[in-house]
Amino acid sequence: MKPNTGKGAKVLIIGGGIAGLSAATALCDLGISPLVLEKSPFLGGHAIQFACKATDSCQNCFACSVEEQLRKVTENPQILGTLNSELKRLTKKDGRFMAVIERYPALIDPERCNNCGECFKVCPEADKAAIQEAYSVYNQSRYGINIDRCLYFAKDKSCNRCQEACPENAIALDQDAEKMEREFDAVIVASGFTPADPAEKDQFGYGTHKNVVSALELERILRSRGKAIRPSDEKEPKKIAFIQCVGSRERKRPFCSRACAYALRMAAAIRARQPDIETTTFYIDIQSFGKEFLKTYKALKADIRMVRMIPGDVYQVEGDRLCVSFMDHATHQALDEVFDMAVLSVGLMPGKDNKVLSELLRIDLDETGFFSPPDHTAGRETTQDGIFVAGTARGPMDIADTIADAGKAAWEAARYLITDTTSWRYP
Amino acid sequence: MEQSNTPQLIELGRTRETILRDIPDGPDSCLTCGICSGRCMATGIDGFDTRKIVRMAMLGMEEELVGSRWPWICTMCGRCQYVCPMDIDILGLIRTIRSLRNQDDVPGNLHKGIMAALKTGNNFSIPKDDFILIMEDVAEEFAEEEGFQDFKFPLDKKGANVLCTVHGKLPFANTDDMKFWWKIFYAAGEDWTVPPENWEGVNWAIYTGNDEAMKTMVGRIVENMEKLEAKNLLLPE
Repeated sequence: MKPNTGKGAKVLIIGGGIAGLSAATALCDLGISPLVLEKSPFLGGHAIQFACKATDSCQNCFACSVEEQLRKVTENPQILGTLNSELKRLTKKDGRFMAVIERYPALIDPERCNNCGECFKVCPEADKAAIQEAYSVYNQSRYGINIDRCLYFAKDKSCNRCQEACPENAIALDQDAEKMEREFDAVIVASGFTPADPAEKDQFGYGTHKNVVSALELERILRSRGKAIRPSDEKEPKKIAFIQCVGSRERKRPFCSRACAYALRMAAAIRARQPDIETTTFYIDIQSFGKEFLKTYKALKADIRMVRMIPGDVYQVEGDRLCVSFMDHATHQALDEVFDMAVLSVGLMPGKDNKVLSELLRIDLDETGFFSPPDHTAGRETTQDGIFVAGTARGPMDIADTIADAGKAAWEAARYLITDTTSWRYP
Repeated sequence: MEQSNTPQLIELGRTRETILRDIPDGPDSCLTCGICSGRCMATGIDGFDTRKIVRMAMLGMEEELVGSRWPWICTMCGRCQYVCPMDIDILGLIRTIRSLRNQDDVPGNLHKGIMAALKTGNNFSIPKDDFILIMEDVAEEFAEEEGFQDFKFPLDKKGANVLCTVHGKLPFANTDDMKFWWKIFYAAGEDWTVPPENWEGVNWAIYTGNDEAMKTMVGRIVENMEKLEAKNLLLPE
C-alpha cells in the first residue's frame, strides 16, 4: 500500500502552537485532513500568550494573527485536534505511518465548565502552572489541568481540591489516559521551542527578585492586564530595564534567537500606553532581519533609551526596586542605576522534547539540537520520507516567519502526497 | 591610559603575529556584550574597561596593552569571567599581557619579591635561622597564654596530616596574627607542620605572569610535601 494521495490523505501534526495551527489550515485549504496533536490542555503554544504591541499604529508583531489562526482552526470542522496528548510510537509500513497516541480525556469538561475560576483559586500548585489559564477566548474551557504538575497525578491522588471546589461538577480527576492508534500518510513536526531558563544567569537575580521577569512573562502581563505592572505590588513601574540575549549567543548555544524586536516593540507599546514609564534596553547589537526592519528600528530607537552594554549585576535595593550595574561606555564609569522592573529577553532554545521526538520519529537533530538539516537550503524535509518540520522546531524564528514556514511545510507535505497537481490552485 | 577626544591613528595588528589573540578560549570569540565591564569592581579606575582590553587583544594591540597600566589595575578576582557568555579566559589574557612586560618594569614590589623568593625561599628574604628563631619566640609567647601551656611549634615534622605554608608578611611583621590559626589547630587537635625552608605560601609570580618562577616556587612546596611525607597541603594566603 502506498500513502493515500490526493484528497483524503491524512497528516499528523505534532504540536498545536502557531506552526501547527498554520500548517493545519494550509493543509485543509489543499484538501488534506490534519490531526493536531497537543501535549498541553490548550492550543496556541507560546505565541498565543503574546500581547498586541500596537502604538498609535500597528507594529507588525503578528500577535493578533495567532488569535486569528486559532479562531480559524477551532471553527473549521475539517481540522481535528487532540489535547493532553502525546505521541508514544510511530511506525511506518508500506509508506503509511501508524501512530500510537496517549491521551488524557478532558479533566475539565468543557460542556459543563462555566469559566468561574474556582479551581484555579484553590489549587495549591497554581503558581507552578498545575492549573493553567487559557490566553484566548477560542480555547474552550478557560482552565486546564497540567498533568505533569498537578499533585493528583504527580503525588498520591490525595489532592482533589479543584474537583471539590467546582460548582458545576465539571472536574473529574480519576480518569486514565487512553491509547489510540491512527494511520497517517505524512507527519509534520511543529513541536516548537523551549525558552532559555533565565535563572541559569544568576547575576540577573531571576527567581530571587520578584520584579525580574522574563520577556515571555511580560507578554502575558501585557496581554492579560493591557499594561505593564510590577509583580511585587501590581503597581505601575516608573523605570523598566530590558536586558537582551539572555541564554542565547553564548559558548554553548551561540545562535541568535532572531526575536529581539519583540522586546523593543513591547517597550514601545508600553511607552505609548503609559508615557510616564521610562524604558532602557541593554543590548549587544540588534540583529535585523527583513528589509522593513531598519525603518521599524529607527522609529523604536527614537523613544527608547538604548545602552550597548549587558549589565553585570542586578540586585534589590529600596525594598523591591532593582539596582542594575553596568558601564557607561562613553565615560568609562561604572554606573548603578535603580529601576522598578527588569525584563530578561530569554533566547529560543531547542524544544526540551526534541531528543525523545527525534528517537521516536527516527529523524536527525542538528548540532544545536533543532530539527533543521545541516544544509539550510534543504527545505523542511527530514531524513525520513514523509516527515516534515515546521516553525521553531527547525530553529529560532518570529511569529511571521513561523506562519510562513508552516505554510511551506504544508505545501511540501502536499507535494509529497498529491502526485497529480494539475487541478491545483494556490489558495 | 589617556583619554582623548581627538581620534588617534592606531595601527591595527590584524596581520601582525600576536600571541594574545591566539590564546585558547581567547578574545576572538568575544561578542562585545560588555557584561565583563558591568560586572567588574575596578571599572572606571583610570578608565579601566575589561571589554576594551579584550577588544584590543583581538585587534592585535599588544604593545599598547603591555605598556598600559590597565592590566595591573585588574585584581584578577574573576567576576568578569564568571559571567562571560562566551567563557573567554579573561584571567588568562590578563596574565599573559602581564607576562609580556619587561619584568623589571612590573609595578610595585611584585617582581622584587619574586626575585627574593627565588633566591631565599621567601618574599621577604628571611634567612632560615632567623625564621626558626622568630617562630620559636612567638611559640614561647603563645604558650604563656591561658590554655595553651603545652604548645610546641611543630617545625619540620615528618608524616603530619597537614603541611601549612606561611604568608611571608606574618613572620616579617605581623607575628601576632599567626596565633589565631595556631589556636584553631590547637583546639582541633590537628597534626600539622611547617617546613624550615621554602615555606612561603604567597606566589607573586601568579600575578605577574612569570610562569617559570611560579613553577619553581610550586615545585619547592611539592618537594617539602614529599620530604616530610605530609598528607594534605594548606595554603593559607
